[in-house]
Amino acid sequence: MLAENLKIIGVVVGTIGVFTLLANSIPQVQSEVPQDLSFGTDVSAAELTASGELLYGSAGGCTACHGLGTRAPNLLTGNGSEGPIGARCGDRVSGESCKEYLYLAMVEPNVFLVDGYSPIMPDMRRSLSNDQIWAIVAYLEAQGGEVTVTGADINQGGSESGSGASTAVADNSGVGPANTSTDPMDILNGNACLGCHILDGAGAPIGPSFDGIGSRLSAEYIRESILDPGVSASEGFEESLGMMPAMYGDQLTAQQLENVVTFLVNRR
Amino acid sequence: MAILPMKINKTGRSGGGVICRRGLCWAALAVCGVLAQLAIPELLLAQATEGARQYGEFPLIGSRAAIWIAAQVHLLFAAFVLGVPMFAVVAEAVGIFGGDKKYDKLAKEFTRLLLVAYSATAIWGAILSFLLVTLYPGLWLYLVEIFAVSMWVYVGLFFFESFTLYLYYYGWDLWSTGRAKWVHWTLGIMLNVWGTLVMFIANSWLTYMMSPPADVTPDTAPGMVQFWSAFANATWMPINIHRIIANVVFGGAIVGAYAAYRFLVAKTDEERAHYDWMGYIGNLIAIGALIILPFAGYYLGREIYEFNQQMGITMMGGFMSWLWIIQAFLIGVLFLAGNYYLWVGMGRIPGAERFTPYTKYMLIVLVVGVMVWATPNSMIADREEIAAMGGTHHPFLGVLGVMSAKNTAVNLMILTTFLSFLLYRRANSRPTVDWARTATFVQGALFVISAIVVVFYGVYGYFVPAIVRIGFSVYQVLAVLATIVGVITIDVFMLRGAESRGDIQWGQMPPRSQYALFILAVTFTWLMGLMGFARSGIRQHWHVWEVMRDTSSEAATPALGYAAIVISGCVLIFFALVSFIFWLGGLAEKGSQVSSSKGEMSGHTEVAK
Repeated sequence: MLAENLKIIGVVVGTIGVFTLLANSIPQVQSEVPQDLSFGTDVSAAELTASGELLYGSAGGCTACHGLGTRAPNLLTGNGSEGPIGARCGDRVSGESCKEYLYLAMVEPNVFLVDGYSPIMPDMRRSLSNDQIWAIVAYLEAQGGEVTVTGADINQGGSESGSGASTAVADNSGVGPANTSTDPMDILNGNACLGCHILDGAGAPIGPSFDGIGSRLSAEYIRESILDPGVSASEGFEESLGMMPAMYGDQLTAQQLENVVTFLVNRR
Repeated sequence: MAILPMKINKTGRSGGGVICRRGLCWAALAVCGVLAQLAIPELLLAQATEGARQYGEFPLIGSRAAIWIAAQVHLLFAAFVLGVPMFAVVAEAVGIFGGDKKYDKLAKEFTRLLLVAYSATAIWGAILSFLLVTLYPGLWLYLVEIFAVSMWVYVGLFFFESFTLYLYYYGWDLWSTGRAKWVHWTLGIMLNVWGTLVMFIANSWLTYMMSPPADVTPDTAPGMVQFWSAFANATWMPINIHRIIANVVFGGAIVGAYAAYRFLVAKTDEERAHYDWMGYIGNLIAIGALIILPFAGYYLGREIYEFNQQMGITMMGGFMSWLWIIQAFLIGVLFLAGNYYLWVGMGRIPGAERFTPYTKYMLIVLVVGVMVWATPNSMIADREEIAAMGGTHHPFLGVLGVMSAKNTAVNLMILTTFLSFLLYRRANSRPTVDWARTATFVQGALFVISAIVVVFYGVYGYFVPAIVRIGFSVYQVLAVLATIVGVITIDVFMLRGAESRGDIQWGQMPPRSQYALFILAVTFTWLMGLMGFARSGIRQHWHVWEVMRDTSSEAATPALGYAAIVISGCVLIFFALVSFIFWLGGLAEKGSQVSSSKGEMSGHTEVAK
């Protein structure tokens, strides 16, 4: 009786042990709580750089285009023979310091479009807060250069160039969609969708055209493609798979998403 | 509050038997707990207005682990006491309509297990409620503001359920014939109705946290939330359906483990034969319900995507992507253990030896199926690893990690398991109808055709867009279900009047087969814990999705390794307690079990059919 009981306990505990070991032997990923960055005036360069590095590879979605592929300049290992971005950002635009240039490149990306690349980058104020953008600027400066971003830059709410971006940035300190319009055209323009898709002849043919999309794809497929664009590629655009950032689920409200889907599915 | 324990003690003293006193005592405690909490909102409201704390602290393991363990163990017991009445009442009906007393006895034994497990359910329900009030007062207050009415109904139904259970069990011998037996069976049905309603109400609270109505925002005062839209939220009914089926699976598995234990420690052949048969029934119920559970899971998953695609993506990909690999491994264990039990069981069936050569092929299909199902699709990898692989998918294994391959694998595994059951069922029968050979050929053709359909759509799925591919899974499932229904229908008619190759030698089962039943029960339990983590974890750092944020220091959703440790702790607690209460239950019926088993074992041959 005792031996039988011990055997049963052994089987039960052994089975549980195998499952526990298995679950602990795979990659361990914890879902962190999104942090609303808030830097004081005395923030150090190291703090900014560390936060920026984290954002660059995660919430910023920067590596989707600036990482492995050729869809945007590689900022970390150099663009051809130019070297990493921190070493060349100060020379990119006459009259703009490194941090001014980087900041403007994130909030008005198509103004300083690098030759040979398409205007596909969205205004990062739509997905990142002011503090987050400045943290990424600091991280990029550190790539071959010196970090000059200070707490004063962040808390003044804009760049020294007075680009006008600061007002919009100040209103976008939290998580969520920056553009609250539910008009589909506002949403498409505001998120730079036409940087990659053609609508009524305008836009770039990097992704499938929006013209006639309703006759080719269902509402469910369009919705899934917006929210999880890396799942599958449309015919003829296999090479573009992975180019579209998977951030619109966070940026768009449910109403905005549905309005865009309805708008596109009616483009027949 | 001080008066309530005294009432409990008085109630306990006036009860009839040991089990009855315990049951009433703890049921009353649980109800008192809920009642007390419903009174507490006034205090909480006052606290909230004074800016009182939102979270409490639990020593050593922290508040999150404490509430997690309480909820999970409560749910495990609740699943058992909701699942078992379903097949208890079915077994009683088989006894009534078929006139076979052994089913009635089986139903009563199921219910006796239920009675003692009910006490533990109530205890853990009270623990969960008190921990919620003390550790998460802000969330509790919020939920009470919305669901207070349903909580009162819940308390009322809980009373009905408790006393219906006592009447059902203690009235078994009193109302055993004629019209009284029908009244007794109706009590069993009512027990299921009350239990299901209780579950539906509790499900509304937790599904609201997952999928609140679209018009509820962080600024919406809880008192302004419309009750019915919160109650019947987007994932409420899918969870209800999924849990009903899962409860049957779980109840069958635990009953199987109970029977296995009693088999292993049995002192007489009659006792061993009885529990061998009971273990077979438990396994049959568990595996039978398990086969349809994925369809309910698919419905739930689809509704989660419909509610919020980002939530769906979080569930199936991202930080939870590896969870599904673990799930595939667990379900693989279930299929293998369930089939192993059947194959070993064929050793006690005269005539089954003619099917033995086929088991190795079925084993190959199952093992390959598990391997394909457990192949990851896209993997969590850093930039260097992605560069080395040439993308987020492995160049070779990535082909097997997609839904086309996985759906094909799981459908073939279901077909194989069904084939195992069919061979077991037919092992000791020799059909006497003229058309038996043709019917067997048709059955074989159905298996082949459905396998071809499954493989065809699995391969074709690689060549079509995702939206088309998703639809293929429906054809695969329909082919498998049609085969199961068609083959069983033919079998029922074909085996009418069949000659027996010999009675099943109940009790002549090697002990190793019983350990398979333990593995099944442990794996089901662990799987429930894992799926509970998945369902709750997809809310991430929200108490109520995108409405009420978790601002505690434990708001991050833990990694799978930590979750596995907590789940294992819950499973160990559950099995330790369930062993104790089953032992306790065994004391109460000792001596009454075996006497009525004699002379019935010959009739068990028919049960296998």
